[in-house]
Amino acid sequence: MQLHSRFFGRGIAALLCASLLVSACGEKKAGGEQRSPDFARLDTFPSTYSVTQSRPVLIQGATLLTGTGEQLENTDLLLKGGKIAQIGQELKAPKDALVVNGKGKWVTPGIIDVHSHLGDYPAPSIESSQDGNEMTSPNTAQVWVEHSVWTQDPQFPLALAGGVTTLQILPGSANLFGGRSVTLKNVPGRSVQDMKFPGAPYGLKMACGENPKRVYGTKGTAPSTRMGNVAGYRNAWIEASNYKKKWEDFLEKGGEEPERDLGLETLAGVLNGDILVHNHCYRGEEMAVMMDIAKEFDFQISTFHHAVEAYKVADLLAENNVCAAMWADWWGFKHEAFDMTEANIAIVDQAKACAMIHSDSGIGVQHLNEEVAKAMTAGQRAGFDIQPKDAVAWMTSNPAKALGIEAQTGSLEKGKMADVVVWSGNPFSVYTLVDQVFIDGELMYDRSDKKRQPRSDFELGIIDAEGERL
Amino acid sequence: MKKIAVFYALVLGVLTAGAQAESILIKGGKVHTLADMGSLESADVLVVDGKVEQVAPALDVSADRVIDAKGKVVTPGVIAPISELGLVEISAASGTNDNAVTGESIGSAFNPVPAYNPKSTLIPFNRAGGVTSAVVFPAISTWDEAAVAAQRVFAGRGFAIKLNGEFNSVEAKDVAQKAYLGETGAQLAGGSRANAYAKVENALSEAKEYRDNRAAIRRGEWRELNYSLADLEALQPVINGTEPLLITADRASDILAVIELAKAFDVKLVLLGAAEGWMVADQLAQAQVPVVIDAINNLPISFSSLGARLDNAALLTKAGVKVAISGPDYVSTHNVYLSRQSAGNAVAHGLPYEEALKSISTNVADIFRLSGGTLEKGATADIVVWSGDPLEVTSYPEQVLIEGEPQSLVTRSTRLRDRHLKPAKGHDFGYRN
Repeated sequence: MQLHSRFFGRGIAALLCASLLVSACGEKKAGGEQRSPDFARLDTFPSTYSVTQSRPVLIQGATLLTGTGEQLENTDLLLKGGKIAQIGQELKAPKDALVVNGKGKWVTPGIIDVHSHLGDYPAPSIESSQDGNEMTSPNTAQVWVEHSVWTQDPQFPLALAGGVTTLQILPGSANLFGGRSVTLKNVPGRSVQDMKFPGAPYGLKMACGENPKRVYGTKGTAPSTRMGNVAGYRNAWIEASNYKKKWEDFLEKGGEEPERDLGLETLAGVLNGDILVHNHCYRGEEMAVMMDIAKEFDFQISTFHHAVEAYKVADLLAENNVCAAMWADWWGFKHEAFDMTEANIAIVDQAKACAMIHSDSGIGVQHLNEEVAKAMTAGQRAGFDIQPKDAVAWMTSNPAKALGIEAQTGSLEKGKMADVVVWSGNPFSVYTLVDQVFIDGELMYDRSDKKRQPRSDFELGIIDAEGERL
Repeated sequence: MKKIAVFYALVLGVLTAGAQAESILIKGGKVHTLADMGSLESADVLVVDGKVEQVAPALDVSADRVIDAKGKVVTPGVIAPISELGLVEISAASGTNDNAVTGESIGSAFNPVPAYNPKSTLIPFNRAGGVTSAVVFPAISTWDEAAVAAQRVFAGRGFAIKLNGEFNSVEAKDVAQKAYLGETGAQLAGGSRANAYAKVENALSEAKEYRDNRAAIRRGEWRELNYSLADLEALQPVINGTEPLLITADRASDILAVIELAKAFDVKLVLLGAAEGWMVADQLAQAQVPVVIDAINNLPISFSSLGARLDNAALLTKAGVKVAISGPDYVSTHNVYLSRQSAGNAVAHGLPYEEALKSISTNVADIFRLSGGTLEKGATADIVVWSGDPLEVTSYPEQVLIEGEPQSLVTRSTRLRDRHLKPAKGHDFGYRN
């Protein structure tokens, strides 16, 4: 059976609109009268993602970390039609099912990395492959990172072997507005559209702090200070508010059709709630300022990324319903990364804000389970009761929330996409390896079967014309 | 007998007004000696006067301080084989960086010891992560146009430190000279690996020429040399075989070239990088060249490391190469303690467990001739008592001894954690320690 993604995608877009509680999905507001322009334009480069559904899968007798706060021992998990069909005891294997003996194994939802540069900063890293930062203006909201993604980046299959099923690819942090992000399923694709997560909302990359002011300050142009950064954001939001109003007026009252502007379209998409803000922001002070800017212009920030100081303002994050994506222990590479504490994720989590791990690294993305384990341990050492059943959310359901795809994936719940990782043991051990990865119910990686380990085009014949790279 | 020894040590300690460390008995831990005694499920370690006095399943001795290590794991302290500790505080704050010089022609003579800052925040942080010593090397930044224009491939002289944060914590100077070959060497030498190779060759030749004609050269009665006398002086221990030459190379063919170069000049070589080391593991073993690898870096991040893989450490060790595992390069020198996570990953990909422990301690001490690295009689008492398996990401050091002295495990990370454990409105946090 083929799940054709355009079909699939439309269903999901509808679900997303429900989950996002925004007024602008589709063409009509909840009230039914007022039409809202389609700034997000999900259909311009539509997802062509599809997965062949070969057969159902029954994982028997494993330890499940559901991503919803539960650890289920000796439990069966049935995947069918690309979805999680059933969780329970002694489930009957459907005819032709792939049966996985889960004894001694642990099962988690597929890992979601909310901050990745696979494809836009690919390996090998050479002059011609630096496609993540359009460093020509502090506001490049008009660029879409999917147009940079090299799908044959060999880091994608490495991340898959680390259990990563979904990634958000972001533009870099050189600019105040870096451009649109894209959310991908971690499958081989000839085009980026083949990897696009059907119906996932777009993100807008914004950046606080040192990077934009350094990049433009050293060129002698604005911004050269943090206050210059903030003036840059606010001016752009004023312009975007006007742009949005122009289009709304046009749809309501008619008249001359306003001219399209790619950059303002993206910002207007944020203002009407269709595009999610992903904001590179290290410092507590700057996060507080950004949340006030969001109030000033009436939009929502989804997530602060690289939020090294999130712990200092965790209560504010909770109050404003903003997530924080963090590392376990990176620090010191610049001043805004100096106040690191290993308990960062735990403190944010305990303050009831939405906390998660993120990688920003081709190496880190392969070991997010270990990174979560370190952050969990730091939380326990701080005196918090945080167990694997809780911490697993930091790499599954919470990043799903941040990306606006929590209705589709990120937890082991009936009806969710069957994005599932089978681990050789407790995923929070350095010795545990990924045994199998299922994406939409299909076996995309199997450690014991070379034939089920994808390789990118780049890897063929690259060291040995006849052999394998690995 | 032992009681008497402890007694004398104590008396001596008093007589020398506290110059001697107290005696410490670490009781009942799982002990990895990484020496002849191997691993002991439950054993006591007696430390007297900064040294390991005895390791045995059950010691009947008293000591000034007893550390209960039941259920814990006891190992030699982690030794970082390559770091910039004490030379870099914040990477992107140039005033806090002393690891690299720009433009200037100094190369092998560059000695960063006077710049070393034992009060750097990186020291307590990595100590709390179980690192008791580190080798500190200078570097050349390929991002620095002036440095690249100077076409230097020798970074200078490495030294070793203890992580006790004391002003006198430089353990050894001139533990190795560092140079770049392979792809980085090419970038630094005007664009070709071959020129980087020629530059090292030329420097070593001139160092010999200088050795053999020192008086005439110093009088100025000699041809003009490419390298300064200071640089050539710094290479003397290298060509005399008393100081190793640490050379970077990742690609298999580059590694073979480096081995040939070292043979030609009879230089004691240590290879740094070796991403494709597994492809030439037998040649490395035969030439007895130890390697310092970033074991968790399996990215084909350049065309020189297309063969990077997670079982590099396992394959090299199996072939008989001495392997040291560094902190992951991608987390910078701030987190060199994470070499243990890399070593854990290496175990998950085939490296025998005790070999992994050695790769972050014993082997590093051997390669750079440092103290520590084993728990046996006479060894420097650089010891970590871990909450559990030291290679496991959920374990952490509970006690760290350096030269027998118990160390503080407080860091800026724990201070900031404790101050902001329950973030809330108001200014109270500013008055919390």
